[in-house]
Amino acid sequence: MGLLTLLRKLKRTDQEARILVLGLDNAGKTTILKKLSEEDITSIMPTQGFNIKSLMHDEFKLNVWDIGGQKSIRPYWRNYFDQTDALIYVIDSADKRRMEETGEELGQLLEEDKLSEVPVLIYANKQDLMSAMAPDEITEGLNLHTIRDRPWHIQGCSAKTGDGLQDGMEWIVTKINDASRARGEEKA
Amino acid sequence: MDMRDAETGKLLWESGKWGQRMLREEMQARVPKEILECRAVSRELNFTSQEEIRQFRLEQRIFLRGACLEEWFFDFGFVIPGSTNSWQQTIEAAAPEDMRHPAELSGKVTIETSFYDGKTLIAKTLVRVFYV
Repeated sequence: MGLLTLLRKLKRTDQEARILVLGLDNAGKTTILKKLSEEDITSIMPTQGFNIKSLMHDEFKLNVWDIGGQKSIRPYWRNYFDQTDALIYVIDSADKRRMEETGEELGQLLEEDKLSEVPVLIYANKQDLMSAMAPDEITEGLNLHTIRDRPWHIQGCSAKTGDGLQDGMEWIVTKINDASRARGEEKA
Repeated sequence: MDMRDAETGKLLWESGKWGQRMLREEMQARVPKEILECRAVSRELNFTSQEEIRQFRLEQRIFLRGACLEEWFFDFGFVIPGSTNSWQQTIEAAAPEDMRHPAELSGKVTIETSFYDGKTLIAKTLVRVFYV
């Protein structure tokens, strides 16, 4: 399933849905999105700004924003929080050295007012590597169980093989649809 | 700029670096005509900015013989100084019976892209598409 299939599954109560993809540099954010679009992933350069994928189906738009994760770029992340329907946070599961750092960045994001209540999908990427920490270990290590103010889900995946990407996206679709249904009921 | 079959991700056409020249002249894209048979096509635009831009947005229009066929408005908002960025749009094709013949379209389709900071026009590009 690619992003197009995902878009076709989204309910069309709103005109647009926005997904924000963040995480440390080299976590695999751009690779995940390219893999989901069936694009070649052999020569991906570090993102020095943003990569946006806009998809349209029957007047309904999905915009996926992937922002570079280098330390010098992270202070700019806040410029892209507005109107976010779902956050995807990507972790390099084999980068044990920076596990604490990625946990801190995620913790700060979850405290942002503009991202309050926004569902968060954590991709525990690079599960194809022998040294990768399992999603359970990451959940434990980063105390993800303490997240109680929003729906969250951790999904082991490999952007290289594509394993797990679809399952994560299915979760996102469900959560975005739940939220738009709830808004619809409020209006009614 | 590049164009792909959005279902398979296959690269169908790539412009290479057009640089400053594309702001002054009409560019030409010679795209394989098979692109018209794709169920969905993606078009990607890459750009760099030395300066920070606060309200970056673009308006893109596809014309056939001067009549506007398709229109995209996109608000990027903030552009990081010294950044390289990309925007890829995926468009689903019209129903097969509504598709036109490549010879009918070749050289008559233009893609006009205007870049703005808020209300101020920064740059405008025009690309004429040939189906070969």
